[in-house]
Amino acid sequence: MRAHTEKAAEWVYRGLWSILASWFKVPEQPPELPAAGGSPVRTFHPSRRFLSYLKFYFWFALVAIDLGLAVLWLLVFLSSHLAGLLLAPIFLVVMVVPDIFAYVAIHLRYDTTWYVMSDHTLRCRRGVWLICEHTITFENVQDIHVRRGPVQQYFGISHIVVETAGSSEGTHDNAFTIGNKAIMEGIDNPDEIRSLILERVRRSKAAGLGDERTERPEPTRWRPAEITLLREIRDDLRGCLPT
Amino acid sequence: MSEAPSNPTNFDPRMVTRPDPALLNYYILVSLCSFIAAPFVFIPLYIRYSTMRYTLDDEGISMSYGFFFRREVYLAYRRIQDIHVTRNIVERWLGLAKVPIQTASGTSGPTMQIEGIRDPEPLRDYLYQQMRGARGLDESGPTTDTTEPDAAGTPDDPAALLRDIRDEVRRLREKLEQQA
Repeated sequence: MRAHTEKAAEWVYRGLWSILASWFKVPEQPPELPAAGGSPVRTFHPSRRFLSYLKFYFWFALVAIDLGLAVLWLLVFLSSHLAGLLLAPIFLVVMVVPDIFAYVAIHLRYDTTWYVMSDHTLRCRRGVWLICEHTITFENVQDIHVRRGPVQQYFGISHIVVETAGSSEGTHDNAFTIGNKAIMEGIDNPDEIRSLILERVRRSKAAGLGDERTERPEPTRWRPAEITLLREIRDDLRGCLPT
Repeated sequence: MSEAPSNPTNFDPRMVTRPDPALLNYYILVSLCSFIAAPFVFIPLYIRYSTMRYTLDDEGISMSYGFFFRREVYLAYRRIQDIHVTRNIVERWLGLAKVPIQTASGTSGPTMQIEGIRDPEPLRDYLYQQMRGARGLDESGPTTDTTEPDAAGTPDDPAALLRDIRDEVRRLREKLEQQA
């Protein structure tokens, strides 16, 4: 029975995806990076535990809101049995339908979040209604934050925020669409990702502010021994040609 | 919208001068959302659309718009730090995209918001290629030009090379002296 429900849910979800892909033009494929000299490209979703983390909040909100609604209905029912019975279907719909949407939205959010890392570049893409894509090169990275709240701690995930220079005070709403913070949510191996990025940042000698590496090699100077040799050559050549 | 394998060499940045005409439709839809105030919302947007110009040259990108309040932004490709591509659902239906790009300036909005781009991938990839650090770390660094040892296996030391030259010239001179 359980297998059947799972299969049906999977089927419904697939169908939803095909609608999204064809009507709402949500890309199903992960974002690509232009081939960067054959360096390996890592493409990944957030950790599966991020999904559990989102669902934890979902169940929390669901229980709180639906309990409130149930109490409200009970009050209506106690004051007037007829009104309570009439309003029961409406209450049920209000209690159940948003939950289904929210649950599907969580899965869609998870499935549309992609992180692509190459040797030089990080690209994040997310969103269903508003699809945001953010590309930065590690050359421009200024700092990396790893954040973990108590609930995230329990699920063993972290948020990694990779910042470039600039002080845009992006609120949480538009931090994904504009701004200089590449936000990687729900990473279960933050230390690995962080050290990977840090190592690439360290390899760059520039300050990360658009400056070119223009340190030129020192102009070659002749050493005294070489000058002596050159003088000898000159003298030899002078002797060569009859003056 | 599958990401077509974009070919940056096929993309001519100089062709990007005007936003796509669909942007006007998008602006009409946006202003219709404000019902009664629609004409007042639409007029500035129309001016914005009709005066918007892009210039992508070899070094940077400039954008200008506005009639009463004219704005121009110029920025060099090398200073770009963040490239975003955002498409909301209406923009996707119209085939449009916004490409906000960000430099290290401290503005709260994007430094430059390129609007009304049909198929943003080639433009995004072009900007990405021009961006610092996109092609790896060795791209503009000083190349340590190590000369390869030649067939005779002469050492890479200039002094030794010069010594060789001197010996050669000496041999030549001795030969000439013998002939004389």
